[in-house]
Amino acid sequence: MLQQLNPSVKAGAVLVPSILLSFSYDVFTPLVFLFLLLVFTWTWSGMPKKKWLMLFSPFFIGAAGFAWMTMLYAGDGYQSGEVLFSVWHFEVTEGGMEAGISLGLRSLCFIALSLLFVLTTDVTQMMHSFMQQLKLPPKLVYGIMAGFRFLPLFRHEYTVIRQAHRVRGVEAERTVSGRLRHFRRFAVPMLAGAVRRAERTALAMTAKGFTGDKNRTWYKRERVEAKDWVFAASLNGALLLVLAASWYFGYLSIFHWDAGRSQ
Amino acid sequence: MKSWKLKEVVLMSSLGVVFAFVYLAFFLFGQGLRNLLLPIGLAPFAYEIIFGIWFIVSIIAAYIIRRPGAAFFSELIAGIVQVLVGSPAGPMLILTAAIQGLGAEAVFAAFRWRVYTLPVLMAAGAGAAVVSYAYHLFASGYIALGPGLIISMFIVRVLSGILLAGLLGKWLSDRLEATGVLRGYAIHHARTQRSSRHAS
Repeated sequence: MLQQLNPSVKAGAVLVPSILLSFSYDVFTPLVFLFLLLVFTWTWSGMPKKKWLMLFSPFFIGAAGFAWMTMLYAGDGYQSGEVLFSVWHFEVTEGGMEAGISLGLRSLCFIALSLLFVLTTDVTQMMHSFMQQLKLPPKLVYGIMAGFRFLPLFRHEYTVIRQAHRVRGVEAERTVSGRLRHFRRFAVPMLAGAVRRAERTALAMTAKGFTGDKNRTWYKRERVEAKDWVFAASLNGALLLVLAASWYFGYLSIFHWDAGRSQ
Repeated sequence: MKSWKLKEVVLMSSLGVVFAFVYLAFFLFGQGLRNLLLPIGLAPFAYEIIFGIWFIVSIIAAYIIRRPGAAFFSELIAGIVQVLVGSPAGPMLILTAAIQGLGAEAVFAAFRWRVYTLPVLMAAGAGAAVVSYAYHLFASGYIALGPGLIISMFIVRVLSGILLAGLLGKWLSDRLEATGVLRGYAIHHARTQRSSRHAS
């Protein structure tokens, strides 16, 4: 199960394919990889399919936006083949269509990869792992964790400021300039509250003996084990296999250079 | 990070948390804009207009704390926190945040972390825009677009970085300074030193 994996290794395992994928501009590679990601998600993550689909499906619009823009405005290097159809004065060629669909699918792969991480990772575990494996300074990590705990307080503060405004007869704004004024009336007091709270928290941390020293004990040990590497290797191995297959069948294109084996 | 005071680190983290939320809100706002521009095929352009807002915490943290690394780490924190609250962009967001932070940090570094005037802050916003655009050229595949669109998106993003990050960031920090809560930080010391020099 992905929940038990080390968050640092998991983050790395998810990040590498995202970078590798950024070089391919054919349809085959992201499409097959997306399919494999779905298999990964549904067999390993232990997440209900319905919930996952609810989170994933809104990103189809974004993917469609990317695809559509690339199709209409593709650069000369990516225009090739026949003109499939034209909209207003734009002509959509086969090559432009391919690049567009590829980019849309790529963005869906990114989302699937990150959902694999986000939905299976515990916040505290992740921060502890960042400190123990990635050697992020304890000062920074405990600072983030403290700041993160302020979130519910920020919401409370927002309500208080809104109520204070209402008591003093400040109306809700509808115009654009009114909205801007409204933004200022909230932004400055809320930021001021955050600064004050940060200062108090830092004082409290110092008072309790927090020095930020790297030679410290951990109440929770995060370890890297064999299963972490198995996950990283299988996810990245899957992408390498897809890339190899894509090259073998002659689909692979890196930017607009057809890298696939010529038939 | 050794020479940093703890309260500076915690302040930077809190700013990161606050702006992680602002960033998420703007992400939703951008989605609305994007859907408007979707039919004419310019959907991703919507994000370019408001892209500068995603650099603002770098500018604010660097302007207030005035230490090497403030611009980079604050943006990194905002990226991490967005992942913590469950942004679907996931670990990629941490990478993007780090890249944007480096862009702003590079400009402050060029002035040896000593100059924090409006033009420098605006340049830092532009720096973040330039570096992040270079990254998106590949990661989002903008490189497949026609040169006209690539250039106009670049210009819009840089302008957005200058105005929404540089100008708005300075304005917000100055308003915040005026409330007096930043008395213990470099931004206040810099201002009081300047005014005492004027008096003498």
